[in-house]
Amino acid sequence: MESVGNLLLGFSVALTPGNLFWCFVGTFLGTVVGILPGLGPAATIAMLLPLTFKMDHTGAIIMLAGIYYGSKYGGSTTSILLNVPGESASVVTCLDGYQMARQGRAGPALGISAIASFVAGTVGVLGLMLVAPPLARFALRFGPPEYFALMALGLAMVVFLAGQSMIKGLLAMLVGLWLAGVGTDLFTAESRFTFGHMELLDGIDFVVVSIGIFAVAEVMINMESRGGTELFKIPKGLRNLMPTLQDLKDCRFAFLNGSIVGFLIGVLPGAGSTISSFLSYGVEKAFSRHPEKFGTGVIEGVAAPEGANNSDIGGSMVPLLTLGIPGSNTTAILLAALILWGFKPGPLLIQDNPGMFWGLVASMYIGNIMLLVLNLPLVPLFAQILRVPYFVLYPGILGISIVGVYSVSNSLFDVWLLGLFGLLGYAMRKLDFPAAPLVLGMVLGDGMERALRQSLMMSEGHLSILVSRPLSASMLILALLIVIMPMVNKVRSFKMKAVEQEV
Amino acid sequence: MKRIWPYLLIGLSAMALDVTRPTNAVAFEPTKPIEAVVHTGPGGGSDIFARAIAELMQKEKTISQRMHVVNKSGGGSAVAMAYLAEKKGDTHTIGFFTGVWVTNPLTTAEAKVTINDLTPIVRLVLEPAVVAVKADSPYKSMKDFIDGAKKNPGQLKQSGGSVTGRDNLVRLVTQKATGAKWVYVSFPSGGERIANLLGGHVQMMVIEPQEAGEHIRAGNMRVIAALTEKRLPSFPDVPTLKEQGIDVPVIPQARGILAPPGVPKDVVQYWEGVFDRFAKTAGWKQYLEQNQFEDAYLKGPALGKFIDDLTVQMREVLKEAGAKVVR
Amino acid sequence: MATHDNEEILTGICLGAFGAYVAFEAFELPYVSEYGPGPGFFPLWIGIGVTLLSLVLVFANFFAVAADESREHQSRLAIGRALVGWSGLILAISLLHWLGFGLSLALLTVFLILALERRPLWTALSVAFGLALGFHVIFVLALGLSLPSGPWGF
Repeated sequence: MESVGNLLLGFSVALTPGNLFWCFVGTFLGTVVGILPGLGPAATIAMLLPLTFKMDHTGAIIMLAGIYYGSKYGGSTTSILLNVPGESASVVTCLDGYQMARQGRAGPALGISAIASFVAGTVGVLGLMLVAPPLARFALRFGPPEYFALMALGLAMVVFLAGQSMIKGLLAMLVGLWLAGVGTDLFTAESRFTFGHMELLDGIDFVVVSIGIFAVAEVMINMESRGGTELFKIPKGLRNLMPTLQDLKDCRFAFLNGSIVGFLIGVLPGAGSTISSFLSYGVEKAFSRHPEKFGTGVIEGVAAPEGANNSDIGGSMVPLLTLGIPGSNTTAILLAALILWGFKPGPLLIQDNPGMFWGLVASMYIGNIMLLVLNLPLVPLFAQILRVPYFVLYPGILGISIVGVYSVSNSLFDVWLLGLFGLLGYAMRKLDFPAAPLVLGMVLGDGMERALRQSLMMSEGHLSILVSRPLSASMLILALLIVIMPMVNKVRSFKMKAVEQEV
Repeated sequence: MKRIWPYLLIGLSAMALDVTRPTNAVAFEPTKPIEAVVHTGPGGGSDIFARAIAELMQKEKTISQRMHVVNKSGGGSAVAMAYLAEKKGDTHTIGFFTGVWVTNPLTTAEAKVTINDLTPIVRLVLEPAVVAVKADSPYKSMKDFIDGAKKNPGQLKQSGGSVTGRDNLVRLVTQKATGAKWVYVSFPSGGERIANLLGGHVQMMVIEPQEAGEHIRAGNMRVIAALTEKRLPSFPDVPTLKEQGIDVPVIPQARGILAPPGVPKDVVQYWEGVFDRFAKTAGWKQYLEQNQFEDAYLKGPALGKFIDDLTVQMREVLKEAGAKVVR
Repeated sequence: MATHDNEEILTGICLGAFGAYVAFEAFELPYVSEYGPGPGFFPLWIGIGVTLLSLVLVFANFFAVAADESREHQSRLAIGRALVGWSGLILAISLLHWLGFGLSLALLTVFLILALERRPLWTALSVAFGLALGFHVIFVLALGLSLPSGPWGF
């Protein structure tokens, strides 16, 4: 088979000492970057670009790619231990991961995160290798109506995230959608809700909102009682530091789910990895035998999104390497790097540079293994962070939050916003408003509005375009079903109760 | 006490003379790394351009200090321009401007800094653009497309960036000149624009030639018009709009360098000198060729006139486009 | 009427007001533009949605069950503490520009440890110093991030 031959070529390139070294450097840096909230792989790659000019190009792209997928491994660490989302895609991990940490299961959470990332990341690379060209062509069939339907499907996930009160969940989602709209309107260049502040012209950064609502609010909750609440049970013994065999068995479906959902969403240019983590969480919950336990510390709730945001990377490389179209912010920078080095990314990149492409693919396999080896032993180490006395931890978390937010755009205005969202998050916690729908609304709001308006631009105002195309119609119907399901269930249980009462 | 006065007077006059006498003409030399401000994030057009130039300048040794790129993205060019305005008089900061720096303040009230507040140094290139369609499209020339649009007004679609960007402005002036009408769909990223063209969701787009090059080589795209005064050397068979009978002004996409306000004249001269030398280097000429940029070196009063003319032209076109012009 | 109930109603009213504000502002923006729905389209519907749902929230809690009085006193104290901590954070943020990150973090730490945790001054100072140093080493020196710096360079 051609692929096998190519892969062998790839390994022969990737297994040279030089490239192995760069792979290690990249994955290590990526892990560190991922652990730190705010500073993302995109910014790190940009910072390292000038250094890469003097390097061998294959080694350079291997290193940069290593940073990219390495960061997804690290991103879960602060989410699980401190409820501080390390990266936008790690927000979903906070939901169950942090709860697991509170129950003394931080070790298994971190461990399963690494393992799921490994499994899904490998599947992602496999996908990249085997189905890249036909999948890329399929992805081209996604026009604005399909993207809108996809976002609607994502928003339908609010059903799974709302918890007790659907009304509050919807309200939170709407607020999130509004937050997404703050800034400059793409189509008419009009500014909305900027209150005259130039800093808001580009909208509110997602990191600011998520760190504020999760991390700062969490610290505030803990400040309520002196000495903190008995939160962090220190895991004792090696058994508690790693996922058990039972855990691994429980996550079988999650591994599959995360890998496939993540990869498919990643292929679509413009659909971020945050969407893939939310969707896979929703899928996991939908197919779970104990959906009501999600949000209280269910290990599949960590495995699915963590897997998704890794295989997503393999997916986002598909349009980059087959069509020269970046699938996300970070791939856009990888593309820029390739251009700066003199390559011409496009449909013929693979043909012209088989050594580099397949070397890169092979290095991603190797990189995933390196990361697993790197991260698993670190799990007990990281879990020890929970031993730190709370009065040291809380200022530390606040400090990390400020650093994380400031590192995004070096703007003090953003730090002020952080304070504001911290207060908002605290209020939401006290008033029982779920945070996840707000985050979901914020992530999808932009893309959804854009997709809808683009679709209407295309159809000159006729909404029918959304349902006249098979792909978008089917996704919209699915979204509708998801939203209606709980209501049907309620009616059914209501009827059953009525029947029981009669009997 | 009384005796001090004459001495005081002499002292003060000496100081006054000292301040007003012409300083020694010691040429300015940068003493620390230069900050190059761009308005896009990492990976954006200006970012890549600035990085490439910084790299080339290092190689050709046209500058004694390192240049590192600072990304100040936000509000189009608003954040970058405000940042430069704050660095008043700073001799170690420069900005890489594009046409957006001219148009953005015209339409955005919050963008309080206009291009006239900053110190222009030099214009480096004009980025040409071409009109591209999918390879299997029935339109073999711009005329075909226009005819198609006339037959089905509002049915054909073009993908592009912001509605105040060049892509749309080209569409608007062409629509006005030919009477054809077609729809514009905004996509924030170049990748999405290309994806939608290749996926058949839109029929046409305006694209930079080097971006199109690869897709053409792969057989996915076809170029039907060149949006320049003269034919492009890389596309000798592609006629310009004018040649195809569509008489519209060429909307330039310029890239150049400017400095913060209040920068002393000798610093401006230094930069002009640097870019004078740089523009003559072989590395630069090669870069121009590779990226199919038009060498449009311009400085001094001619540059000032170019910016003024561009501002007037943009204001006109934007008003006609129905965009809200606030300045 | 019991307090818990009032809480929800108050929330509903505040949200309703917010929704009305959003809808009002969105009204000012063009609803339709030459290129399809205008910038006012989405926010208007969001504003309307928020207002309607807030009303549902208010009505649903009109007849809600009363909450425990003693719990309420406890929670007021707790909320007070959290807000004190939050104001400390805000104060630290406002000092970032003048004093730089290291000092502001140190001051925040001292404030939190002294005011909220009532630990001895020595503990507060040493933790503050340790944290500020740690942050400086990790983020500024090792990673090269730029943090707001005060008069002494950190």
